[in-house]
Amino acid sequence: MTTMTPDVTDSTRAGAPVMTLRNVQKYFPIKEGALQRVVGHVRAVDGVSLDIHRGETVGLVGESGCGKTTLGRCISGLTDPTAGGIYFRLSTEDRARLDSLLDTPPEQLSAEDKAFIDRIDRAHRIDRMSPEQRRIYRRNCQVVFQDAFSSLNPRQLVKDIVARPLRVYREASGHELTERTVALLESVGLGRQHLYRYPHQFSGGQRQRISIARALALDPEFIVLDEPTSALDVSVQAQILNLLHELQRERGLTYLFISHDLGVVRLMADRIAVMYLGEVVEQGTVEDIFERPLHPYTEALLAANPDINAAPGESMRGLEGNVPDPANPPQGCRFHTRCPVATPICGWEVDDAVQWLTDQARLFDTLTAVERLSEFDATLVFEDEESAAEVAGRLTAGAVPPPMAAATEAVEPQGQRVRIRMRPVERVELEDLGGSHLTSCVLYTSRRRDVDPGYTTKLTAE
Amino acid sequence: MVDVPIPETTRIRVEGPWIVRLRRFAEITRRVLRNPTTLAGLLIIVALLSLAILAPVLTEPNVPDPYQMPRDWGARDAPPGTPGHPLGTTSTGGDVFYGVLWGARTSLQLSVIVVGITVTVGTIVGSLAGFIGGKLDEILMRTVDILLAIPELIFALAIAAVLGPSFGNIIFALSVVFWVKYARIIRGQIIHVKQNEYVDAARVIGDSKLKIYLKDVLPNSITPVIVQATMDMGGIVLTAATLSFIGLSEAGLAEWGVLVSDGQAGISAGKWWASTFPGLMVFLWALGFNLVGDGMRDVLDPRTESR
Amino acid sequence: MTASAPTPPQVTLDPAPRVAAVEDLRVYFQTKAGLVHAVDGVSFDIRDREVLGLVGETGSGKSVTARSFLRLIQTPPGIYAGGSISFWSREARDTGAEPIDLLEIPDSEMLDVRGDRIAMIFQDPGKALNPALTIREQIAEVFYQHRSAELLDGLDEERSWIIRRAARQQSRALERFLLKLPPLRSKAAKLRRRVDEHVAAALAETQIPNPKKIMASYPHELSGGMKQRVMIAQALACNPDLLIADEPTTALDVTIQAKILELIRQLQEAHQTAVLYISHDLSLVRQICDRVAVMYAGRIAETGDTEVIFGDPLHPYTRGLMAAVPSAAHKRGELTAIEGAVPELVSPPPSCRFHTRCPFATEVCATIDPALVETNETGHRVACHIYGLPPGAVGEGPMPSFERRTR
Repeated sequence: MTTMTPDVTDSTRAGAPVMTLRNVQKYFPIKEGALQRVVGHVRAVDGVSLDIHRGETVGLVGESGCGKTTLGRCISGLTDPTAGGIYFRLSTEDRARLDSLLDTPPEQLSAEDKAFIDRIDRAHRIDRMSPEQRRIYRRNCQVVFQDAFSSLNPRQLVKDIVARPLRVYREASGHELTERTVALLESVGLGRQHLYRYPHQFSGGQRQRISIARALALDPEFIVLDEPTSALDVSVQAQILNLLHELQRERGLTYLFISHDLGVVRLMADRIAVMYLGEVVEQGTVEDIFERPLHPYTEALLAANPDINAAPGESMRGLEGNVPDPANPPQGCRFHTRCPVATPICGWEVDDAVQWLTDQARLFDTLTAVERLSEFDATLVFEDEESAAEVAGRLTAGAVPPPMAAATEAVEPQGQRVRIRMRPVERVELEDLGGSHLTSCVLYTSRRRDVDPGYTTKLTAE
Repeated sequence: MVDVPIPETTRIRVEGPWIVRLRRFAEITRRVLRNPTTLAGLLIIVALLSLAILAPVLTEPNVPDPYQMPRDWGARDAPPGTPGHPLGTTSTGGDVFYGVLWGARTSLQLSVIVVGITVTVGTIVGSLAGFIGGKLDEILMRTVDILLAIPELIFALAIAAVLGPSFGNIIFALSVVFWVKYARIIRGQIIHVKQNEYVDAARVIGDSKLKIYLKDVLPNSITPVIVQATMDMGGIVLTAATLSFIGLSEAGLAEWGVLVSDGQAGISAGKWWASTFPGLMVFLWALGFNLVGDGMRDVLDPRTESR
Repeated sequence: MTASAPTPPQVTLDPAPRVAAVEDLRVYFQTKAGLVHAVDGVSFDIRDREVLGLVGETGSGKSVTARSFLRLIQTPPGIYAGGSISFWSREARDTGAEPIDLLEIPDSEMLDVRGDRIAMIFQDPGKALNPALTIREQIAEVFYQHRSAELLDGLDEERSWIIRRAARQQSRALERFLLKLPPLRSKAAKLRRRVDEHVAAALAETQIPNPKKIMASYPHELSGGMKQRVMIAQALACNPDLLIADEPTTALDVTIQAKILELIRQLQEAHQTAVLYISHDLSLVRQICDRVAVMYAGRIAETGDTEVIFGDPLHPYTRGLMAAVPSAAHKRGELTAIEGAVPELVSPPPSCRFHTRCPFATEVCATIDPALVETNETGHRVACHIYGLPPGAVGEGPMPSFERRTR
């Protein structure tokens, strides 16, 4: 059905990579003023690497604003990533070579290497593909959107909606087109009698079935399911989830299942990637994530998720604080500001001290300026000397979270000013702990040896 | 609403797309007819259009140019009811009845031409700005902003005055003035409609930009333009009558504004008819299209249709 | 199993007095398609200090029921077609006075009840808060409206009528001008400080850090969880007898949701308020509610203590709904789904509303309304012919299980 080129034959094997993401970033500019000057960037997706293999379902979980939908839009080609590569049907051999080349600094690459990268880009990288490859990718990567009410054009008949992909690729026309449309509708539990109706004549669940039929029209290999059931009632959600599973079995589909609902993802996914503030913090099989979570954020999500089988009071613990601003994400591990088991090396910075101050009504009112040298070194200026002295005193005397105090190298009050210096930290990276279970939490990765033993024992004691 | 999949053994009666579209059209018609104000507006429009169409039958067309008022110098200022002049005559012997009827024809031509030009130009400009966006949007919309800052009537008046008194110039002046608001309406709509997921869905399928614009964006953005255009069918006649009234049209034209202007001098002398009848026509014309335009707003929204 | 009269008498053995009793509530909507019976004969009561969960899917009528308490349904198109909502305020309960009928009292009296005796928090705090006012102004509003006497209490400025009117927010333009001038200025400032104290206290109660800073903010400056805390602070400001929470956490992330639920539960205990908790999420309801009423298509399908309902659900709808929630026990593709969708409620014929989707439906179900009848467990009522009719009228033997799989 699809024209195969030598480059893509590999992907017909089960388990071959369908989508390969390497360090994908998507930044949205923040513009200000009449001249629309760019004053900063919202880092919606900030360095995500992920492999999706043929026939599997990868779940992408996270709370609102974590970047999961933006990542889905990048993968489905609706928006181009700011940096990093998304590769379609990259063979495992090519992937291995590409990975080694991406790790090498650009100036050390030989001409041959550059030619290889160029060839891979033309053949596989979705934002640099040749038009023919792009066409193949386009046919094989479809999306089912969250909102079944806005994803169907209200002025088109169901037949026009579902048959549209077939028309675009001139797959069929006339009687054949109608019959293939009917077959598609039947495969999602609708029928011939629904051909000539408008979307508004259907219930939410049926509209989602129409969306799925449209996505199936070109017999794609891969479908991005962006919260496909979160607008539906549970009883209808169950119908749709069963349908999606059956279609996957029948057609060997590969899914990227984006959801905020852990129960749904647990049911549907083979592997799960947990996102927080634009980054993947943990990745593993469903069993890994649900039975042996290795990141405090994953644990927090699991603890907060209401379970219908749990007796009252047994489950549901929330998290303190708010999700930080994605335009100015925290240093180190981005979760450290809300983490219940944070350690001194998790990324404490001056902003954390300022954030702590905002919750101290009286002292915060006297803060007049913050003079930054870096994220880890800044001077707070207060209205009067007493406040400055008091802040300095409390910062050292354990009024702040202990790991933050431990990360503070110096607090130097000078009159109305207090200079704060924190120990600088590097960015945390995902590490494979074996069995393709990846986490970025320093409590489990190779940086564990840098952590004060007091903090690691606290974790195991819990 | 409940459509449980029907077993295959059940005979399924499938209605073809044309029946469905026809039924939708019938439904729209039914809803128009059910709303009393829209219906009233529609009746007014039908009556006025009939007058315009039947004008050559009801009156003897003036030769050589039927759009020029025939002059009966023997019966100046004749009151309504005068034999041969059912609505009386003007101070220059023009037959008011003739003017009212042929004025309807003039108005029809005027409004169709002006609305046709302005809607086309406005939609193209607004679509380019809204659909393509970026720098082009900035340039086009700042131009629109500047034009919108000038009061419509004064702008049209200035253009018509510069070009000299002629009805053709009035059409031109109105076309230059009126497209701007369509551009603005359609741009706003398109920016809003573009965010719908069905536009993304069409992009994922791989349809071309032009097709997406024609199938998904434009049909869902056009309703307010149609409503506005309907109302402007009335408004343009009103504005044109104003321009004619102050003498920017050629004298002797069978046009309501000209007639009102001709007759206004006689009002204080008790010769009310020469201004009143054409004035009434302008009023009815504007009223009819406004009522219908208002009713169209709800009728054209597919989501408000009963299931 | 005792079959009782169609509308069971509202006598309870429970010693906790009732805060509100809904009896045979009917709310209809006039639409183009006809008269929609959104709520069609709903009866339940809310007892003192309990959290009653009203669960149901889209179109079940749960929100309409909740909004009827404060008469927030727009009429037209809405019509209060019958029934009553009796409400006992704390005073009424203490003095043994007659309850007021929330559907009958005049609008002026309703204004006194709203926000004072009965408060409500909404699903979307972003829309429920006025974007043009600071948090301080929005919460202060409640105190001005309902607690003007308390604001003046102990202030010697009480005697000044201008200040009295200011405390009720009834000042005219001239008075507002006078309040800025010396003789009244200090008194007005005192009043303002008193209001600020109240607002800060209300915010502090919802564990908002640094309430002073929050008070000066506008809603758009706050996160969703913070806005919902502000809503809760506003709702509980006057210590209401009944708090209606309409899906208060649906718009929030799970980690925030857990915190907000904990907060509602804590404050409910501290204020000894009864809570009517509306939700579509069964798992949440199980966590937070003492009693549950399951609604389907404008009717109550089943009601009882949370543990009884979740431990031994009787109504086929309740059972189907619980089975449809994905959990660790499910295998992929074998989720139990309820076929079809909620029926249109335009002038429905007498029948069980669920019969079109019910795997156990018989002819009786399509022709006769099942009554909400008491089962052998105290307070556990179910509206299903399987339990309501004498043996033999419907199929005998144990109830079949929800084995049927759907796609």
